[in-house]
Amino acid sequence: MKHVSEGGLPAHLEKQRTRMFVKNAAPEHTSTVEAASAYAASGLENSFSIERFRRDFRVEIQSLSAEEAVFDLIGIDAALANAFRRILLAEVPTMAIEKVFILNNTSMIQDEVLAHRLGLIPIRADARVFQFRGDPPDDPNEYNVISFRLQVKCTKQRSSGASPGPAVVGCAPSTAGSGASSDAGLLGSRVTSGDLEWIPQGEQEERFRDAPIAPVHDDILIAKMRPGQEIELEAWCEKGIGKTHAKWSPVCTASYRLLPEITLPKPVTGDDATTLKGMCPTNVFDIEDLAGVPTATVARPRNCTMCRECIRHPGWDERVLLTRVKDHFIFSVESTGALPPETLFQESVKVLMQKASDIATLLKDATAGQQSEP
Amino acid sequence: MGECPCDPGGYFIVKGQEKVVLIQEQLSKNRIIVDRDNKNQIHSAVTSSTHERKSKTHIDCKGGKFVLRHNTMSDDLPVVIAFKAMGVTSDQEILQLVGSEPKFAQAMATSLKECSMLGIFSEGQALDHIAKRIRTGGRGTWERTPRRSKRDEARELLAHVLLAHVPVVEYDFAPKVMYVAQMVRRMISAQFDEEFMDDMDYYGNKRLELAGQLLSLLFEDLFKKMCAELKRQASVELAKTSARAEAYDVTKSVREDIFTNGFNNAISTGNWSVKRFRMERSGVTQVLSRLSYISCLGMMTRIMSQFEKTRKVSGPRSLQPSQWGMLCPSDTPEGEACGLVKNLALSTHVTTDDDEEPIRRLCFSLGVEDVHLLCPDDLYEARNGAHLVLLNGLILGVHRQPHKLLATIRQLRRTGHVGEFVSVQLHPTHRSVNIASDSGRVCRPLLIVDNGTLLLKQCHLDELAAGKREWSAFIKEGIIEYLDVNEENSAEIAVSEADLRGERRTQYTHMEIDPLTILGVCAGLIPYPHHNQSPRNTYQCAMGKQAMGTIAHNQADRIDTILYLLIYPHKPLVKTRTLDLIKFANLPAGHNATVAVMSYSGYDIEDALIINKAALDRGFGRCMVLKKFTQTFKKFPNGSCEVARPPPKPSPAAAREGLRERSSQPNRFRLIDDDGLCMVGERIHQLDLLVNKHTPVNTRDDVPYSEHERLPDSALRPSPLTYKGPAGHMDTYVDRVMLSGNKNDRQLVKIRVRSTRRPELGDKFSSRHGQKGVIGRIVPQEDLPFTDMGVCPDIIMNPHGFPSRMTVGKMIELMAGKAGVLEGRMGDGTAFKGDSVAECSVALVKHGFNYLGKDIMFSGLTGEPLKSYVFVGPIYYQKLKHMVIDKMHARARGPRQVLTRQPTEGRSREGGLRLGEMERDCLIGYGASMLLNERLMTSSDCFQHIDVW
Amino acid sequence: MEVEVCGDESAATFTFHNEDHTIGNTVRYMLNKMPETSFVGYSVPHPAEPKMNLRLQTVGPPATQVLHEALGNLYQVSEHVLKTFEAAVAKHRTEQGAPELR
Repeated sequence: MKHVSEGGLPAHLEKQRTRMFVKNAAPEHTSTVEAASAYAASGLENSFSIERFRRDFRVEIQSLSAEEAVFDLIGIDAALANAFRRILLAEVPTMAIEKVFILNNTSMIQDEVLAHRLGLIPIRADARVFQFRGDPPDDPNEYNVISFRLQVKCTKQRSSGASPGPAVVGCAPSTAGSGASSDAGLLGSRVTSGDLEWIPQGEQEERFRDAPIAPVHDDILIAKMRPGQEIELEAWCEKGIGKTHAKWSPVCTASYRLLPEITLPKPVTGDDATTLKGMCPTNVFDIEDLAGVPTATVARPRNCTMCRECIRHPGWDERVLLTRVKDHFIFSVESTGALPPETLFQESVKVLMQKASDIATLLKDATAGQQSEP
Repeated sequence: MGECPCDPGGYFIVKGQEKVVLIQEQLSKNRIIVDRDNKNQIHSAVTSSTHERKSKTHIDCKGGKFVLRHNTMSDDLPVVIAFKAMGVTSDQEILQLVGSEPKFAQAMATSLKECSMLGIFSEGQALDHIAKRIRTGGRGTWERTPRRSKRDEARELLAHVLLAHVPVVEYDFAPKVMYVAQMVRRMISAQFDEEFMDDMDYYGNKRLELAGQLLSLLFEDLFKKMCAELKRQASVELAKTSARAEAYDVTKSVREDIFTNGFNNAISTGNWSVKRFRMERSGVTQVLSRLSYISCLGMMTRIMSQFEKTRKVSGPRSLQPSQWGMLCPSDTPEGEACGLVKNLALSTHVTTDDDEEPIRRLCFSLGVEDVHLLCPDDLYEARNGAHLVLLNGLILGVHRQPHKLLATIRQLRRTGHVGEFVSVQLHPTHRSVNIASDSGRVCRPLLIVDNGTLLLKQCHLDELAAGKREWSAFIKEGIIEYLDVNEENSAEIAVSEADLRGERRTQYTHMEIDPLTILGVCAGLIPYPHHNQSPRNTYQCAMGKQAMGTIAHNQADRIDTILYLLIYPHKPLVKTRTLDLIKFANLPAGHNATVAVMSYSGYDIEDALIINKAALDRGFGRCMVLKKFTQTFKKFPNGSCEVARPPPKPSPAAAREGLRERSSQPNRFRLIDDDGLCMVGERIHQLDLLVNKHTPVNTRDDVPYSEHERLPDSALRPSPLTYKGPAGHMDTYVDRVMLSGNKNDRQLVKIRVRSTRRPELGDKFSSRHGQKGVIGRIVPQEDLPFTDMGVCPDIIMNPHGFPSRMTVGKMIELMAGKAGVLEGRMGDGTAFKGDSVAECSVALVKHGFNYLGKDIMFSGLTGEPLKSYVFVGPIYYQKLKHMVIDKMHARARGPRQVLTRQPTEGRSREGGLRLGEMERDCLIGYGASMLLNERLMTSSDCFQHIDVW
Repeated sequence: MEVEVCGDESAATFTFHNEDHTIGNTVRYMLNKMPETSFVGYSVPHPAEPKMNLRLQTVGPPATQVLHEALGNLYQVSEHVLKTFEAAVAKHRTEQGAPELR
């Protein structure tokens, strides 16, 4: 791990500085040594330098899909990686239903419960092109509100000649108990997010021609209804952040883990190697033939979930050394679907940048104000 | 009908209220109980209960003399005199009846001597002696009929009042003499051997009175009342000598509403008064608690004891070994009713009366020798193996091969020739065979083991599963039988099949159907209860009844006084067999929360919980409180009645300035529709009107308006129904308005008001292990620790909750839950079995989790790994009904009482908070006594002006 | 934002309103990594108040100036992270062939 260390520390201290040790009783050396002068006596420079950071910092994308991104951030400290994680969870804005105007609701779901359910539906809309409504709220306009309408009525399906047919009669006995509550022969008995109809305001239709605004999934169940019941409402999406309410959180979760690093201080050979391979539930180890001796090797350290099964039995904790690299973060971002995960991460970095520059400005103002006071 | 399929029934609906008749526990009737009285003297007592009367007969031992005590006699009656009065005049015969062994003879000597000292030798003398002591007047008087001599009276008393349950046919006192002798004999035996003492708390000596028996008592009383009424009516009618055209028809005088009113009254008030037995009980019925499904079920199994709650006795309150399998060992309240209120175990059955006569005949044909035919000496002859045979406490006779008798009766019972709830038991100490067929005995089903093998075979279970077999078939075929407490005592019950493979296999006579049946419904909710410290299970039994959830499938149609519902209830991840049996998964009450056992932020001390804000945002612990408001519209004798009026129209002047007026002052009539009632779906604010009711000013005199005509506004004064709810809570809506009517009032309006609540600081939660706690802090998700997989806990629980409480079951629940989640199945936490920790651990490892369930977590604040592993996993948490919004209260200045001008009391009256003695002490101790003086005297009680008007 | 400077300018307490650990911990980290800092710490005094205090003592230069520098560093770091990440995504896309289009 050259990219952090400048050398100069004894090997065991260097290891403690860059690795956390996963032991049976408790993890050891988990914290990052941050103070600039921490290793001054050993001649190691621990202060921050942007040049060094530029040189050492790397990003490696592991996988990327519409929902999830997994990537490695290498050469960055926990404080910063955690800031991105926190911002992803709480401070990257999205659009979510905030105001619901219920015109009619005769379903079993109470108005406020219905509104709560609607709020949690992820909306596919790029919050970057919308504005916050603020407090007190600005007047609604096409730049801060997306409007949806939900109008569903449950009716009995007009039997087209034949009776419900064998499909209903022949259902398995296990579901026969719920036969009375089956949705067969009913129209609109399941209100789903797909029933939400976007009402473009002003030029919204034009602006979002390429990516029409809609719920991310159209099969989220909102309510179940019986004949005669109906729901009619208008819902307004507003821009917000996850800190206010979890519905505005753009991610299912964003988190990271540290890169596992497994070393075998002494070769594990023969039956022991088989035992070791068999112990690991995540298939980290392989057995290779080294000079005619079957020897265990660490083949897939990334698979390791740090379950400590390989060091649980007496004696093994000395034969297997479980460590994690302190500045290698395997980051995973699962998007709710409003924006692709990689964009979300970029946004989170931008939020941090914005914060830093905002505070710098505020600091300047505050000190300027203070100096002018006396 | 819109009824809930899971509703257990078992309650009465009286006047719109669900009432449960609680099971009453009493000492069994018609059985001899030998124990020590409060002077530590040996004493025997029998409560005789027949359909006619109930009385208690005591035999005391006073200075070595045996005396008989009964309410109808003003003085103690020496037993020997009683014997003589019943026709046994020879001292030798008396002695033989009691027992002619030297120890009995010695014990009886003083009593016999006393009798001869009193000069009573003949039956006549004895009767005279008794006749003098019959109590006249006052309580406990025995109504005597005139035209009888004193002796006859005394004889009558002996025959029908004293030990009334022992039948005396045509003044043949033999059975009663035997009975009294038996009482004395048992007392003497007890003096020599503690073994002969009876234990009042022994559950075989208890009888449970169920709703049916209580109602039959009531019915008999009411029937007698009706007959008396009818007789009185008829004689009045018939006394009218005036010529009548047709024959007198009795049916016309029958009052048909006696029963209806009597039952209604008794059930709705809970006051059971049966004059015949001078029974006056209150609190027999209780309103069915619909707080949760479990509380509703728990109420059906509740047993109330007749003991006084205030008495500080430990005997009746403590858990008796004989309650094993019959009563739940965990489910009892804390505090004054502890141990007096009990609950039935899962498979308990309470017997009803079975006819004695066939059993009596059967006994005789099985070789029981009738008492009448025996010389008294033969009764107790140990050499020939003679055992007394008692049927429901009455001496039937003697049998010389008791084991054979026992086996035969059991065989007949298993083949269905004798009632399935008839119990036979050999009492080795008393050398008797007790046969019981009376009502109120608790019993439970057990599998029969014959010679070390179960009679139940796999094919039977297959047939049961296939629906080819019913429960009753198992009993009919003698595979399962019911044992009551007494018989259970003489049975050897294997707990599991492993026992039947062990060394002692041949000794077993029965096997438990399932060991979990020793617990009741409420304790059945607890996963792994056998790993918990026992009081924790007891606490959970009390708390399970306060958990919010779903109440019934028809809960949306119910209008209860108050209803607490959870919006998104989960079925528990770790279930128990009991939960399956009661279909708890259909009506769950709680959430599967991901719990991390660690300390966090210091706001989690003293059992406080840290809760994830995002979880709350997403609906964790969200609940709905539905409250009922009722308003009746009365009708007055003069024909006028109360009416609901539309909201007042603004006067033309006000209408012009309408806008300003409305904004300056909240419109309390906002909710009122044109029919004078509130509109469904509207949001309610404090002090809004729900019903705009008006009452006529004049309700006495005739008014010139007919009933249907509307009264002018001037003749009405407003008497509205206003809403008053928790202050500061905005999410309250009108949920439903119901119109109805009843006999007395013209119209009844019920309004259901709904408020949806999100958990807040101070709301109470509890796991299923008696571990309650309030929310100490709500933390945003990003601040919470997370695991390698990105999992954030919903709840953080402080580990200090574990060491002193020893709720190991909770930890195992976490393990089983976590293993279940990973394997995609439900965990099983059934008592005495369930998934083992080792199995769960293996499952965890299989999915890459730590063997002990402890994972690496990262701090949400710094992003660094935490310095210890954290025990994380799902635990089922219940939200309890105690919420801050209903309880918080503070006041600076406020309303005062008119009389004393002191602040009012209680939250509902916006009352003051008491600065009590200890608080006063604090201030004095601090040295601020003048502050006290000022605050309590000058600033509160002092008045300058007193208005006199 | 409030700044409270006491005595000489080398020590100061900064109060950030409506900020939490996100900024608190990163700025603390940045300051800690600077040789000018002799002490830095931050706290959120009460969970119910949206407020964060940062205490900074330097070896000499004015605290505000050091904080300013740290914020600058933070900005630069983030900028570099963003750039590197974008490059990595682009690289990944080309490697994977068909770039994902929304």
